[in-house]
Amino acid sequence: MDEIQNPTSLINKDYEEIELVTLDDWLDNFDELSKKGVGLIIEPSDDVYLIRDQLEFIELIALDFKNFDDGRGYTQAYLLSKRWNYIGEIIGVNAHLDQLQFMLRSGITTYQLLESYKGSNEEDYSNGFSLCYQAAANNNGLNLQY
Amino acid sequence: MYKYSEKDTQFLIERVDQFEKQLNRHLSGELDEDKFRSLRLRNGLYMELHAHMLRIAIPYGILSSEQLRALADVADKYDRGFGHFTTRQNIQFNWIQLPEIANLLRDLTDVGLHAIQTSGKATRNITADPLSGLTEGEIEDARPYCELIRRWFNLHPEFSWLPGKFKIAINGAKLDETALRIHDLGLRLVKNKKGELGFSVYVGGGLGAAAMVGPETASFVPVEDILSYLESTMRIYNLKGRRDHQKKLRIKFLVRELGASEFARLVDEDWQETKDDPELKLNLKELQSLKEVFALPIKPLSLDGFKDVADFNYGIWKKNNVRNHKVSGYSIVNISLTKPGAAPGDMTSEQMRVLAKLADQYSSGELRTTKRQTIVFPFVRQDQIHKLWKSLEEYGLDSPHQGTLAQIVACPGRDYCDLAKAVSIPIANRVQERFNDMNRLLDIGDLNINISGCENSCAHHHIADIGLLGMQKKGEEYYQITLAGETLHETNIGKKLGPSVSSDDIVDAVESIVNVYIDNRKKNEKFTDVFKRIGIDAFKEKVYG
Repeated sequence: MDEIQNPTSLINKDYEEIELVTLDDWLDNFDELSKKGVGLIIEPSDDVYLIRDQLEFIELIALDFKNFDDGRGYTQAYLLSKRWNYIGEIIGVNAHLDQLQFMLRSGITTYQLLESYKGSNEEDYSNGFSLCYQAAANNNGLNLQY
Repeated sequence: MYKYSEKDTQFLIERVDQFEKQLNRHLSGELDEDKFRSLRLRNGLYMELHAHMLRIAIPYGILSSEQLRALADVADKYDRGFGHFTTRQNIQFNWIQLPEIANLLRDLTDVGLHAIQTSGKATRNITADPLSGLTEGEIEDARPYCELIRRWFNLHPEFSWLPGKFKIAINGAKLDETALRIHDLGLRLVKNKKGELGFSVYVGGGLGAAAMVGPETASFVPVEDILSYLESTMRIYNLKGRRDHQKKLRIKFLVRELGASEFARLVDEDWQETKDDPELKLNLKELQSLKEVFALPIKPLSLDGFKDVADFNYGIWKKNNVRNHKVSGYSIVNISLTKPGAAPGDMTSEQMRVLAKLADQYSSGELRTTKRQTIVFPFVRQDQIHKLWKSLEEYGLDSPHQGTLAQIVACPGRDYCDLAKAVSIPIANRVQERFNDMNRLLDIGDLNINISGCENSCAHHHIADIGLLGMQKKGEEYYQITLAGETLHETNIGKKLGPSVSSDDIVDAVESIVNVYIDNRKKNEKFTDVFKRIGIDAFKEKVYG
């Protein structure tokens, strides 16, 4: 069984600890939280369109990939990153080794693997291909064939 | 013929390497069964009743002789000497050992074959009309579009973890040999009033327990905008599809619940934001170069004075199995794989090698697979058809069943598949035995029988003239009958005849249905037309009366 984490804060790329709030919290307390500077933890079932016009106030966004077969996080990452140009970090939490390539190309900037994958060779799964066949949020380092 | 580049082959090798690592992690206990199931299905691997089944993609049903030889080698080296052609134009091997799978797949990369997305909750192999590019009156050859769309959704980062499987069919002909409106997404090549080329899009068709004809969500999407439209459709499905209910995962349930117009509106709203993105435009330069690669390898022939051999058996075979070609001097030859005692769609490695050799001799090295589990030789000179037939006869590949009732479509059924509720192949064989007289078959004419072993409907029983669906009743095998399904001119799901019929009685029931048709038809009237004219009760009376 995967040991699902429910992080209440994450460290950003500047090594600052950022408090995480749920989407409901954020929407209910937008005035207060947007001034405070917090990050959001987004569930697969959350509607990211609700924060489309508020992205500049969000310190970082964590997308939860805890359910292996639930692919909504990839579309959430694409919308935030590619379509709405969110410039903060998009962190995939409860990430699965075999899905890293999909997460990173969809726009996830960094990830936290589930504990059960500790010690695995992440390179094999985050960077296993030399070629891609479609436009995506992040095709860095790939030969493009489309 | 279109061939993968070195870069494409490298991609296939990288995918095999990755899959091998996943397999090894599973075998060493590092990767649990649930996750491995999801991962192995994405590479076409099923854990079946007796062994493991591996499905290899045959993109839009086109095979080279070289590829068929490689499949024959796989059948001998890793299976029991045969393969099974499916109704989605792919091939399956049923007796594969887990530790050998990576080597098998590596062997196939040499000829550009793979198992990527042949199952699982992602975009599956794209199917097309096996006669694409061959017949008169076609709007456009669908194959270059199939290839570009296939590539685009190959390990697509956003759409590889959809709520359910996602099957696409593309048709460029007037008649619909692809059954596109029973697919999750069907694309019909059309021209608008200005003569510009585009696609009509149908979303949410499907068979199974809730069979549905897919409604049109867009009447005209310009060719260059099709990728962004497809992405928007999948995006709405990915975000809103029913993940909470195992039996409602397919897009048809979402389309039904939202209503087709609301679904289409949501797709259009998303599409308006991406349709002008230059990165999402179809690569027209690549399209043009693919059109050149897919151009027919033949030129019109003048065969003045040619008179074909008069031979009774050859004449019957030719009448059923040979079709007109748009290029003068050529014909399209169908090779039926039905034979008494054999499973529909099965082919031995020896037959594969023979067909590969004959394709080299008579059909420019190209073969095509069809949803009726037959093989097509797409370009045979009319003055060589008899010689081809003689060779086919020598190897038992001369079944004249094409277009007759005996050309039964069947899934592997309970003999091989652990999802199946009842057998399919033995029922197909019993029907073929009952109708083993060629004069009678010719008299009955073009009539389809499809047999599925469970509600997954792999044999497409809903769209056959006579469809049989296997089920269990108190531990016994029964078959539900549906009548008058069709897709060629219009798409209709077959109507349920009544209570399911026992295995013992099912062949009698089929014969009664055929007799009602024969007794009531007017000259050249098709089964579906008779059914519409006389109604279901006339059939019910004979079967249950």
